[in-house]
Amino acid sequence: MQLSCNYMSVKWHAVLLLGTLFVACGHAQESPFFVTYNHHMQEPGSLEIETSTTADVPRAGQRSYFAPWTELEYGVTAQWTAELYLDGQSTWNDSTIFTGWRLENRFRPFRREHRVNPVFYLEYENINEADRIQKEMEGGAPDVSSPNTVLRRLIDRELETKFILSSDVHDWNLAGNLIVAKNFSQHEGVEFGYALGFSRPLATLASGENCRLCRESFSAGVELYGGLGSALGFGFHDTAHYAAPVIAWAVSDNSTLRFSPGIGLTHQSSPVLFRFGYSYEIQGFGSKLARLFGGKQ
Amino acid sequence: MRPVRLVICVLWWLPMAYAQNMIYWPDPSWRAPEVAAARPNPLVQRLNAAAGGRKLFLRNCIECHNKEGSGIAKKHSADLLLPVVQQQSDGELFWKITNGNTGRGMPSFSKLPELERWQLVLFIRTLKPSS
Repeated sequence: MQLSCNYMSVKWHAVLLLGTLFVACGHAQESPFFVTYNHHMQEPGSLEIETSTTADVPRAGQRSYFAPWTELEYGVTAQWTAELYLDGQSTWNDSTIFTGWRLENRFRPFRREHRVNPVFYLEYENINEADRIQKEMEGGAPDVSSPNTVLRRLIDRELETKFILSSDVHDWNLAGNLIVAKNFSQHEGVEFGYALGFSRPLATLASGENCRLCRESFSAGVELYGGLGSALGFGFHDTAHYAAPVIAWAVSDNSTLRFSPGIGLTHQSSPVLFRFGYSYEIQGFGSKLARLFGGKQ
Repeated sequence: MRPVRLVICVLWWLPMAYAQNMIYWPDPSWRAPEVAAARPNPLVQRLNAAAGGRKLFLRNCIECHNKEGSGIAKKHSADLLLPVVQQQSDGELFWKITNGNTGRGMPSFSKLPELERWQLVLFIRTLKPSS
């Protein structure tokens, strides 16, 4: 029985890894950020399929894990972007599990570009405590010590809002997010978090050639993110914080690879949090789908 | 004009008229502020930068404006060859690319670096109706 369980676990590890690599072999000048949101929305009618993974270097006594997630981002209008997330997690010598889903919406209230552009974000999460994608951090640090069998029974049905402020200054993008989340499944009070980031393309003039390894295909920046406790105990106590350089490479006209090694800044943080992701954009997906079903657009 | 010639003329021009968005009419409320419209293109002396603009155009704009820039009637997107577009100043075109007209489906392209948006303006100037 033990052998069978281990075999199943290895098989699931392989399936998750292969799934990530397969999609990773699948443009767009995308933001290099993993956690911070800016005011650039998905183009209307475009679908972006993204697969990303968070993996950590564990502290002594903790088991290493990797937490892949798949993201479907659709531009409903030029001012409204909707996303669906499917999260998973695999812990070494434990198990591989599906940890839940999230549905998020971002609304840009102003039609024109301003010096500072606000965006409103609303997300509903149906995940369990084993979820470790850490796409945003709010409240305290995640539990990375308990086994998946225990954590998966603890369901989080959470409503999360973000207030996003973003600005483009001389080709630099500066963005700040304030996160407020309420878990309806547990009595945790309202939790808070933050994310700050700045990024810039490495070249600002496009060459006439289709070069992939030249500077114009890369953008880089730095993110800072972490939890701010809850209404029951606001502040930095027992919270995880990271400083993470980020880099994005537009490998083709439609796809982007991103990588970020996040350095843990507090004892509650993992020493290093690696993130890598791949996104593929299908332009005009909405009209292609409509045509498939006999629509005109 | 003889009827046969008329029919040939109509049949010749009809597909082109269909492919182009001849019915495009600009949104009167979508106008750049005077200061923005007066901005000169910093790349105007670097005409080879238009090649990069073409690449950016193919990457970001053809979904709605077509490879030839003629627009797509179903999407109500601008026919960039029309005088009503070409007569606008570089600064005005730059402002429109930067801000978009989200109410009518044109997204903002402020995510592109500023010089790349000016390259797009350079390339739009090179668009000519195909014979």
